[in-house]
Amino acid sequence: MRIHTAAKSAGAVLLAMAIAGTGSLQAQDLAIRNATILTITRGDIQNGTILVQKGKITAVGANVTIPAGVKTIDGTGKFVMPGVIDAHSHAALENGINEGSESVTPEVQVQLRNDDPVIYRALAGGVTAALLLHGSANSIGGQARVIKMRWGMPADSMYFKGAYRIVKFALGENVTQASGTLPADQKRFPESRMGVEFVYRYWFQKAKEYDQEWIDYRAAVKTNPNVIMPRRDLRLEALCDMLHGDLKIHTHSYRADEILMLIRVADENGFKINTFQHVLEGYKVANEIAAHGAMASTFADMWAYKVEAYDASSYNMALMSERGIVVSVNSDSDERIRRLYQEAGVGVRYGNMPVNEALKMVTLNPAKQLGVDKMVGSLEPGKDGDIAVFSAHPFSPDAMVEYTIIDGKVYFDRFQAQTLRKVAGDSKGTGPGGAR
Amino acid sequence: MNGCMKRTFVAGSAAVLLALSASSAFAQASAGEEGTFFIKGGTIVNPGGQRLANTNILIRNNRIVDIGPSVVAGEAKVIDATGKFVYPGMIDANTGLGLAEIGSVQTMSLRSELGDFNPHIRALVGINVESELLGVTRMSGVTSVVTSPAGGAISGQAAMINTAGWNWEDLSVMKDAGMVMTLPGSGGRGGRGGGGGGRGRGGATANPNLAADFQRFMEESKAYDDARTAGATKLDLIYEAMRPLFHREIPAIINANGEQDIRAAIAFGEKWNLRVVVQGGADSWKVRQLLADKKVPVILSSIEAAPGDSVPYDEIYAQPGLLYDAGVKFAFSTGQGSNSRHVAFHAALAEAYGLKAEGALKALTIWPAEIFGADKDIGTVEKGKLANLFITTGDPLDLRTQVSYVFIKGRDMPFDDRQTRLYLKYKGRPVTIKP
Repeated sequence: MRIHTAAKSAGAVLLAMAIAGTGSLQAQDLAIRNATILTITRGDIQNGTILVQKGKITAVGANVTIPAGVKTIDGTGKFVMPGVIDAHSHAALENGINEGSESVTPEVQVQLRNDDPVIYRALAGGVTAALLLHGSANSIGGQARVIKMRWGMPADSMYFKGAYRIVKFALGENVTQASGTLPADQKRFPESRMGVEFVYRYWFQKAKEYDQEWIDYRAAVKTNPNVIMPRRDLRLEALCDMLHGDLKIHTHSYRADEILMLIRVADENGFKINTFQHVLEGYKVANEIAAHGAMASTFADMWAYKVEAYDASSYNMALMSERGIVVSVNSDSDERIRRLYQEAGVGVRYGNMPVNEALKMVTLNPAKQLGVDKMVGSLEPGKDGDIAVFSAHPFSPDAMVEYTIIDGKVYFDRFQAQTLRKVAGDSKGTGPGGAR
Repeated sequence: MNGCMKRTFVAGSAAVLLALSASSAFAQASAGEEGTFFIKGGTIVNPGGQRLANTNILIRNNRIVDIGPSVVAGEAKVIDATGKFVYPGMIDANTGLGLAEIGSVQTMSLRSELGDFNPHIRALVGINVESELLGVTRMSGVTSVVTSPAGGAISGQAAMINTAGWNWEDLSVMKDAGMVMTLPGSGGRGGRGGGGGGRGRGGATANPNLAADFQRFMEESKAYDDARTAGATKLDLIYEAMRPLFHREIPAIINANGEQDIRAAIAFGEKWNLRVVVQGGADSWKVRQLLADKKVPVILSSIEAAPGDSVPYDEIYAQPGLLYDAGVKFAFSTGQGSNSRHVAFHAALAEAYGLKAEGALKALTIWPAEIFGADKDIGTVEKGKLANLFITTGDPLDLRTQVSYVFIKGRDMPFDDRQTRLYLKYKGRPVTIKP
């Protein structure tokens, strides 16, 4: 949603944050016992135990023996679920999120900074992984980063190994208005949804020609070593990666017309949309999105902040989900990333989604969209020990994150964290967040 | 038909929804069905902790005329609330509802006037009852909101409105709920540099002489009021609008977030003998004892905000609990309009981080009513009050709870808001392409 980067107060004294990452990246052993475990894929387990060894889940169930010496959290009364995954964030990015100077820039990539306090606050909301996307200033933007929220680690230790390579597309108002305030001679194409469509047709035509040049060259060079190699073009190379499915497309989208437009351009040019982002009117073209095989990552209920968001609906998640689309709910915000579990619950309130389907929207489904569902997104043996421990069911009004765990290592601990009650010197509170 | 549609809606039966979407969903006017209603057998949950199980409610002429286990329906239309819960309608204590529709379109968001001193500007008369935002808001159980003007030093008069009505007169609860203002020199969060994550409301004007102008305006307003009280008859509509403030008939709703700004707002109220309501209140936990001692209530700005980098991560979520324990009266607000329904989620976050459940419900209902002096009409489910209530399957703060019925001013509100209309339409689209 954002066109411009919010200024971050770099160098702020983060006195409020206990830096968890003083140790190593080394995966750890950990157990949580006697908790309600929301596995997502294998039902809910009452009075269950989950065991993580060397960073991987080795056992989940009602009768799990915890080996001696393993650090154990008493989960009595608590709810344990997979770490929350945010499929759309712009947090922790260095020096801007848009290379908006041209309409097509898939050769660039966002740059991660490891010291953004949003990472810590996201951890405090149970988030363990996020897709950090390029902005929406141009039709074909730059490449993203998928990270685990390993607060305190160097940036390159936060990359989520094995995740998809992802590029950002954008449709609608942001793209067409990105140069809207500039003088006429400085504006850049496109300025309409019609123009946006042509950008895709034009560039994928060029990409297919470029691809063919290389196919021809590689065939020819086998018999004639003197044939001239085509000029390498990183922009077209990235577009070819999209054609080949090696670079997954996540596209900012709002209205049904532009969603359908991109599906048809993709069909005609032989590429796939991996995930429609925002996709506020996705419910209007859910059949078409499902038929294309695309997934959807939307806001829970943000609407009416601009014209193209007027038909947005909190029922969008339920309607798309009912038609077989893999739906996630994302933050696109340094604020909502703190309470994405609550956003998922909106799908139950509006549209009566089954609770587990709603929970999938911040766990397994975004994992699929990021290409990490073999590793995270549910609690089952073999997957990474990425876990959020809540004080109550995540959709209940008493739900607060107490521990956030990545690879078996506790990165957020409510009981160690600096809290307002501690700062205020008031421990009289008797609510869930009170004296503790 | 209307009630039938709602129950079906909650049950989520696609076929019936489809059949009904063409008829009843559009057949009802958005101002709701008038009549005499009998809400049967629900559990009434009022702020303060009282729970009345298996209790009937009789509604006539916009108001609750009787409550009790033995109250009978008579001729009234029966709404079966057996096994369900009846809550007083929730209140969002600061919005632009009715004044602003689509934020990015200037002509659709007319919430502020030119100039620094606009006490004569009244939010109520600019309210569009057909705003789609109102529909989405009311069907979540938010039945009243404060709609406030913004901008300038004295922004104008806020109104307490219901979220449904035939026109702005019909939907008005209090045409003059308070005078919104921002004192000179405020706007940030004292000593923190910046607006505390954009939580500030109102804000400074470009006038370099604002402090002196503000002082003079107050002096002139007071002098005018004294003269009028002494019998002067010549009217000045601008100063006249200030008089209810000096007579403590309406509160001064002062935008203040930083600790020093909040202290300044309280001092300003004492200097001019005004009833003060602090709006924003980002740092109010730091002065909670003062707020409690002075009985100054706080309209919290949206707690869906990111905290500053040098404060505890849970500052915004945990603050309401601290205020409650200190005895400060407060209300939740979204500050905007499209997601006024989020006040329930604000309360849920606050509850999770230490606000007692009874405090969460008070801050959503009776406290905002009391803060603005509307508690004789709204804020609880009580005999004699307007029938502003909603019926749910459980705690409205729990996301798994469904809203079954909404009554505003004794009218049974149809689920015909923009989002439900679109939901019904597209839920009914045949699945011609199987994934």
